[in-house]
Amino acid sequence: MSDALVLNLVLFLPLLGAAALLLSPAGRDDLTRHMTLGVMLLQFALCTWLYLRFDSSVAGLQFETRLPWIESWGVHYQIGLDGYNILLVMLTAFLAPLVTASAFSAITKDVKLFYAMVFLIQFAMMGAFLAQDLFLFYVFWETMLIPLFLMIGIWGGERRIYATFKFFLYTAFGSILMLAAVIFLVYSLQNTSGVTSFAFSDLVKARLPLNVQGWLLAAFTLSFAIKVPMVPLHTWLPDAHVEAPTAGSVILAGVLLKMGTYGFMKLGFPLFPDATLLFTPWLMTLAVVSIVYGACLALVQDDIKKIIAYSSISHLGYVMLGLLSLDLIGIQGALIQMVSHGLVAAGLFLMVGMIYERCHTRELAAYGGLAKLLPVYSVFFMILTLASVGLPTTSGFTGEFLALLGAFKAAWPQYQAGQTLPLVLAAVAVSGVVLGALYMLRFALGFLYGAAKAPHQPLRDLNGREKTILALIVVAVFALGLFPDEPMRKTELAAKAYQQLVTTSRLPRRRRADPRSLGGRKPPAATRRLPLGVAAPQAQCVLAGSTP
Amino acid sequence: MIARDVLLAMLPEHLLLLGIVLLLVMEIAGIARRGSLAVALATVLAAVVAAARLSFDGYAAAPFAGHFSVDAATLLAKALVLALALPVLLMSREEFEGVEFPALLLSSLYGVGLMLSADSFLTLFLGLEIMSLPVYVLVLLAYRRPQSAEAALKYLVLGGTSTAMLLMGVSLLYGGTGSMDIAVFARALGSDDPMARAAAVLVILALFLKGAIVPFHAWAPDAYEGASVPVTAYMAVVVKAGVLLAAVRVFGPARLATPMLELVVVLPLASIVWGNLAAMRQPSLRRMVAYSSIAHAGYLFYALLGAPEGRLQAVTFYLLAYGVLNLLLFAALPPAVDDGERDRLDNLKGLFQRSPFAALMIGCAMLSLAGIPPFPGFVAKFLIFKNVIAAGYTTYAVLGLVGSYLGIYFYLRVIQVMFMSVDAPLAAEPLRRHALGASLACITIALLVAVFPGWVIARL
Repeated sequence: MSDALVLNLVLFLPLLGAAALLLSPAGRDDLTRHMTLGVMLLQFALCTWLYLRFDSSVAGLQFETRLPWIESWGVHYQIGLDGYNILLVMLTAFLAPLVTASAFSAITKDVKLFYAMVFLIQFAMMGAFLAQDLFLFYVFWETMLIPLFLMIGIWGGERRIYATFKFFLYTAFGSILMLAAVIFLVYSLQNTSGVTSFAFSDLVKARLPLNVQGWLLAAFTLSFAIKVPMVPLHTWLPDAHVEAPTAGSVILAGVLLKMGTYGFMKLGFPLFPDATLLFTPWLMTLAVVSIVYGACLALVQDDIKKIIAYSSISHLGYVMLGLLSLDLIGIQGALIQMVSHGLVAAGLFLMVGMIYERCHTRELAAYGGLAKLLPVYSVFFMILTLASVGLPTTSGFTGEFLALLGAFKAAWPQYQAGQTLPLVLAAVAVSGVVLGALYMLRFALGFLYGAAKAPHQPLRDLNGREKTILALIVVAVFALGLFPDEPMRKTELAAKAYQQLVTTSRLPRRRRADPRSLGGRKPPAATRRLPLGVAAPQAQCVLAGSTP
Repeated sequence: MIARDVLLAMLPEHLLLLGIVLLLVMEIAGIARRGSLAVALATVLAAVVAAARLSFDGYAAAPFAGHFSVDAATLLAKALVLALALPVLLMSREEFEGVEFPALLLSSLYGVGLMLSADSFLTLFLGLEIMSLPVYVLVLLAYRRPQSAEAALKYLVLGGTSTAMLLMGVSLLYGGTGSMDIAVFARALGSDDPMARAAAVLVILALFLKGAIVPFHAWAPDAYEGASVPVTAYMAVVVKAGVLLAAVRVFGPARLATPMLELVVVLPLASIVWGNLAAMRQPSLRRMVAYSSIAHAGYLFYALLGAPEGRLQAVTFYLLAYGVLNLLLFAALPPAVDDGERDRLDNLKGLFQRSPFAALMIGCAMLSLAGIPPFPGFVAKFLIFKNVIAAGYTTYAVLGLVGSYLGIYFYLRVIQVMFMSVDAPLAAEPLRRHALGASLACITIALLVAVFPGWVIARL
């Protein structure tokens, strides 16, 4: 069987699984659970096979499939693995069986529908990572919201309706503007080069004037920044996390949030390099604000799920910092940090879910001295806490350290050239590490040590299923912390390609062409000011509806 | 030669006429009770097949030159609109017995057929009236409820207003040019002559009124709510489709320019925004669908901003996606003792527990109407806004898209009610064969359109 076929199978397995659940007999909940687990394990096995077959010396797509989908628009069904998505695909496939297994005891209502939703989310997430065509990407990007909306809304906590609507409406708002930007981008490409295509590889060749790039990047940024989430667009996240069932939180923190940073890396920045340069100080400031503000908020939460939710905002700030540094080490660090946060946050949410199943409360104050009550649980918890803090030998260290190193490496020459902002930002970002230690240790201290108390006693410690789930995550955390060079080799060429794309200007070439050759567009109408107050010279105003 | 064209070009209409006559004969012979639905279904199906067959053969003819003409694209659009009436007939099985419903429905479809092929305002007017008059009666057929009389009256009066506006506009056009040809309108659009302009505005407003565009939308919620479910479905889907396709035909090759451009942007945009906002507060599904259809009429009229060549394709594809999913919604709606109670949102509470299939179908319909991928509504919306942006109206497209965002909330609310209510009554729904058939047909088409949109678009 060819590898491209395997990749298609990886993508469509969850959809087949969902279809099988639809047709399976009602009332056989255990059958449903085990079948889901089996399909997810198969998917992971296939992914591992592809991971091993992935050639890290080849730049660009591997195992590619490209079929026409909507031919007259230039839309293709195009998927493939490359250095950008390989680690995230692995992460997605790795977490799916764990999520499935973790919900065995937690979900007892509408089991079939629940696992159908898990399948659909998995399908959409895989699709969004694998898609190499903007239209296809957008379809998967939006599709993802529906099953998650249902998952939070049906199996969530007290305020689940509020939380799930907030989640959907927030993310959909970003997407709707991105949709306009997508259409506009494709039409600009068509008008300037005559190519009608949604393929990423064609779109990164589009040459656009600075103000157009600015508007389009703003639309993409809004959509991705909501997903990441970056302060000040983060307010949906704590609500969604707190109200979601454990599986939903794990999927959200583990994979879904990476969709935002992945979008920035794969689409936002490479498509509009000149606007990115212009936006960098602002985005970097927001990233650092996210790091510090998220950490500060995590420090004062009483709800254990909220602590981890806010810590996610902080940790993903490092990813943005690394991506924006445009330094090879920083970019690689960002990629590792994405996976690391996916593992650690997923593990912590799973652990919170396990204790919630036993005690039915998420109040931090309700717990204490769990180290005595639940020794095995506490060991796992401590390991994941330290990984979250970024202790060397864990994956958290590798990611955060490299991202910060990259930020400093990029900032130093700029400082010598007279720009202090990047260096100041990098320095402030370091304080996030300290704050991270502070809030996680406060959490662990109150949780594990002190006088033993728990709302429901006696507590039984972890069972075999739970131990296996956590052990797998811990192994992955250490593997990524101790041997990061193997995965980094797989992503190296992609990181270089990203760096190359973002640092090469793609303004339209200066040549006085006949305006008719640009698809009949009228000559420049007016000079416009960008939203950031930077004047755009020779800007072509094609955004306004007044053009024709 | 001419006789052959008269026969062939109007074959779908002839078949409908034949069906109507047959139904009336059956009524007289007293055998209508049982067979009328089957006859109506067979008639519409035959008309669909005839139109589709002629279209695939690339048939084009003008049997009444200057008044009635068909070509491949028109015939395909006609086949599609007629096909959308099939699920309506299936749904009607539970509501209506006897010959009234099918006969009136077929008459109305005859009008739709005329309208889609109109080359002169005379034919257009005839088509519009033949389409509308039976619908007034159809609304009244839910006579067990007092609201339905009120709804039918409102609809009749406002429909009459629309007719008057159209006639006024057409007479002005005729006065200025001495021609009833539909192409006169396109010239009047770009003209500076105040009389031509007034005529164009009147014709546009008449179409807006029939299509329920703000501020001429007030009849729609009452009429939709007062009618019984199949009639509401018919109004929301087939009548809307007929009006919109007629509008595309009337606009013809005209490119919009100021000030007509603003008229065609601002009112549909207002419909999108107001339709979506007002739908949030509706307690009954039918009223909600009415406001939703007001918003959708807005998107559809937006298609007129695009280049003339792409309009028919965009509108037809949109109507296909919108129509099929709207019909799915009505077909899957669970029955209730009292027709008026049937679609209270509260009545849908916990539907997923009672009838998972119906809940999933209505959920798909809602998400598609909201324009969320991977459902066909998304591709349809994409196509329309793609054309608008390609024509250079980016700002208007962004405003329209943001307006469409406002609609997401109430579509999701229906899903919330069906899936996320705690106190769900647990009584299994009885199996309803005809409605189930209609749902299955609709969802199959919807899935096909969702998976192979390229194939469908290439054929429109």
